[in-house]
Amino acid sequence: MQSTSSTSTGSSSRATADVSAPNFGGGSAENVSRDTSAGGGSGDDNPAPADEHPSGSSTRNGHDAKQNGFAVNNNGSCIVDGENNRDNNTSYRGVQLDKSNQEIIRLIGQYLHDVGLDKSVKTLMVESGCYLEHPSATKFREHVLMGDWVKADLDLKDLEPLIDNGKQSTITEMKFILLEQKYLEHLDDANPLDALHVLRSELTPLQHNISRVHQLSSYMMCSTNQDLYQRAKWEGKGILSRALVMERLQTFMPPSVMMSPRRLRTLLQQAIELQSQHCPCHDMAWETNLQTVSLLTDHCCTTDGFPMQTIQILTDHCDEVWFCKFSPDGLKLATGSKDSTVIIWDVDPYKLTLKHRRVLDGQAQLSVSFVSWSPDSKLILVGGTEDSHELYIWNVEDGKLFVKFSQSLEDSLACGAFSRDGTRFVCGGQKGQLYLCDLNGTIVDSWEGVRVNSIAFRADNKTILAADNHFRIRGYNFDSPRSDFDILREPHPIMTFSINSADRLALLNVSNQGLHLWDIEDKCLVRRFQGIRQSNFAIHSCFGGINESFVASGSEDKVVYIWHIKREEPLAKLAGHTKTVNCVSWNPVYPSLLASASDDATVRIWGPKPNGSNATTESDDCSSSSSSSSWNMT
Amino acid sequence: MGRVFLEHLGGLKLFNCAQCHTNLTNRSQLISTRFTGATGRAYLFKRVVNLTFSNIQERVMLTGRHMVRDVMCKNCGAKLGWMYEFATEESQKYKEGRVILEYALINEAEGFPAEAPTTSH
Repeated sequence: MQSTSSTSTGSSSRATADVSAPNFGGGSAENVSRDTSAGGGSGDDNPAPADEHPSGSSTRNGHDAKQNGFAVNNNGSCIVDGENNRDNNTSYRGVQLDKSNQEIIRLIGQYLHDVGLDKSVKTLMVESGCYLEHPSATKFREHVLMGDWVKADLDLKDLEPLIDNGKQSTITEMKFILLEQKYLEHLDDANPLDALHVLRSELTPLQHNISRVHQLSSYMMCSTNQDLYQRAKWEGKGILSRALVMERLQTFMPPSVMMSPRRLRTLLQQAIELQSQHCPCHDMAWETNLQTVSLLTDHCCTTDGFPMQTIQILTDHCDEVWFCKFSPDGLKLATGSKDSTVIIWDVDPYKLTLKHRRVLDGQAQLSVSFVSWSPDSKLILVGGTEDSHELYIWNVEDGKLFVKFSQSLEDSLACGAFSRDGTRFVCGGQKGQLYLCDLNGTIVDSWEGVRVNSIAFRADNKTILAADNHFRIRGYNFDSPRSDFDILREPHPIMTFSINSADRLALLNVSNQGLHLWDIEDKCLVRRFQGIRQSNFAIHSCFGGINESFVASGSEDKVVYIWHIKREEPLAKLAGHTKTVNCVSWNPVYPSLLASASDDATVRIWGPKPNGSNATTESDDCSSSSSSSSWNMT
Repeated sequence: MGRVFLEHLGGLKLFNCAQCHTNLTNRSQLISTRFTGATGRAYLFKRVVNLTFSNIQERVMLTGRHMVRDVMCKNCGAKLGWMYEFATEESQKYKEGRVILEYALINEAEGFPAEAPTTSH
């Protein structure tokens, strides 16, 4: 306020003299009552703004002008129409407001005004000595909204020095916008003569945007009003179109003269967006805005229900566990081990426990390197390493071998996947096989000359994605005409990859490089996740969590890494395994469950902290402003 | 141990580990066949995959003093040859970073023509 008071001397001190003196020392309530009693003399506040403008223009740019705009003015007069003009120089009251405080009060004032609490605005402005906006700007807006173009033009003249340093081209542009509306309204009123007058003697002389003038003149020919609205892309005469004009005009005004509409809401929305960007476990499908989020605490998605600690250790395998995968219905887990068995576990989604269901160990000396579930969660496809030429399909329900697939002893079949409709499967390996088979194990089709490490079906059930020995992921389409095409290429070998359920993102474990996220539609690298260590072993990663907002991966440094899909740094490192973690699987239906398979011959099930610990104040605070329900089980 | 991740160089004429048939390299990587190792004839290759390396050792060879590492098959661990880390003689510098595979310890196998890896997208 100090800086402003110095510039305000001339004009405001004059106004100060009369009414404001009795005010000082008074509390706010007192003021209000006095104000209203003294009201009605609104006429006298007009001269003051008129002669401020010169001083406004004398300080040229940026902050000075801004400060100027306020201090020089007589306060209150803008919105508080019935107010007598008193210069509520704040120093009288002992309230010293610096620039940021003034701005905050203006934001509050605008907000109160928007929600219709005009009395409070009056009080606020009187007590603080601040100005919501420049009085001429207020009048300008009123006149524009009323469609009083002559007065609006005069107001604009008043405001001229405050806008863009009085730059003529800006003012002309503003006048042009006003006249445009005026012209269109005449047309809308079926008043072509007046419209023509505007066009000829007001718009044209501005010598501005001639092509638009021509366009406007063409609207004369519109036969109906509807035709006019359509061609001019205009709302028609009335408050709606005028408000739009006002918003356009407002962009030219410095914020000291007139704030952009709903400024406080804009700021708060920005704050929420920033908070959700920083929220470590953010659920991305949750649209955060002023309606869905409480402003009273910082937004933070709850971590209740997030798989953060070991809730069960499965020790039934007797050698390294190389693979684990939850079934699509979330009710079973298949784990595959170097000991050549697959174990099926039943998931109890309420107690969050797993129970041994059965061992599938008919696959000879096949170290199990992958398992793929059929979409109905009834069959699993099981395969071994590079030196294996056989695949097995088991019926999980009855534990019987459904199909044993083998084409040639020379084959290497180290990866495979069911199609998303469950009618076929694809398999392949580094010796150059790529077979498409039906569920009887009959080869439907095959592709020559590709060596593949990892394979997946896309959602169209036609396109097969395969990571090959040239560090690429390519698409293969067996339907005639057959086609194959590059999707992406890494500078290092791709060991394994998976596709998210939206069929848009691919998560790659790249040898010696870590975990890379690609967009397979745009064919671009989205993110490199930091942290994991991998050099010698084929490590698997997965998408998961609520709305697949997270990714997880095993690592050679014995921990399970979890990232938010938007951030490079890991969100959590789950320690517990004593050797390399080969594979992770996030339960697709119950996102509180995560399984990890390790060389230490165990499978760990990760789940939420037990209920007892919910009582801690920290987690309570967190959940208060968030959708604590989303991690819940049912 | 985890499941060992193995690469494949592809190509028409392949060289594989004699013990476990893991692919090591191919004919297009071959620089010279006129080397000799402990088991007799040995080949020098530009690029060989699926290897593990021993600690560095100093060895005096017919062509001078070299710093080398023994190389083993990543899959089965069989010793296959060595790799030149550093050559002291200026005339032997071309061998740095290249790999010797002893012919007795590797197999030749037929590959198949693959379309050349497309460079980029």
